[in-house]
Amino acid sequence: MVTRPDRDGDQQLRLLDDAWDKAAQHWHDGMSRQFEGGHWTPLLRESRGYLEGLHKLMDMLEAAERDTEG
Amino acid sequence: MTSVHADIDALKGLHEALVRYRHAQREVAGRGEEEIKVVRASLEAKASRWRAQMEQCQAEFGACQERAAQAAEGSAADGPTAGDDPVDCSGYARAVEQCGERLEQIRRWQQRIDAQASEFQGTASRFGDLLENDLPRTEEHLLALIRSLEAARRVQAPGA
Repeated sequence: MVTRPDRDGDQQLRLLDDAWDKAAQHWHDGMSRQFEGGHWTPLLRESRGYLEGLHKLMDMLEAAERDTEG
Repeated sequence: MTSVHADIDALKGLHEALVRYRHAQREVAGRGEEEIKVVRASLEAKASRWRAQMEQCQAEFGACQERAAQAAEGSAADGPTAGDDPVDCSGYARAVEQCGERLEQIRRWQQRIDAQASEFQGTASRFGDLLENDLPRTEEHLLALIRSLEAARRVQAPGA
């Protein structure tokens, strides 16, 4: 069964988040805080924004197909 | 794995996860774009079918109206004849109306999708930029950190 791209994207973000949690257990110095602010947080913010937009659009495409069937 | 190198291993794990994420999200973004194209094409195909149907319904309605006009002329000239039913074109008129409604419904969806897709374009473009430029830089930054930690450990190792 083919899943929607936005759902796969969510899943990928969860996997990355898990990897960050794992890394953060062993890496908590000044550099890690710098990395978090300079790279990690913007990456999360952009990813979430993109996936929310994609989710909305995919919902709309599904509704359009359903509504215009027949 | 020794606990001394746990941070390095953790960073390596994070680096690998970032590389996988970049590839996977590129594929997600590509599929998203493809999905938009597919649904747009599907709506256009439906609209085209309904336009053809509309033309046919209009032609049938027109023919019916002509028959009705001829029948009315005949009645006016000869007077009503028993068994002559008035020509009823209301079914054809309804069919034309229904085709128009379906076409309008599809047009509204097309407009909504165009608006939503256009709104999404900015976000998608920023995300594409992140995948193509920012994320590789982040990965490079992590690799540099890993290398510097490994170098420091090698220096420390003899005296440790």
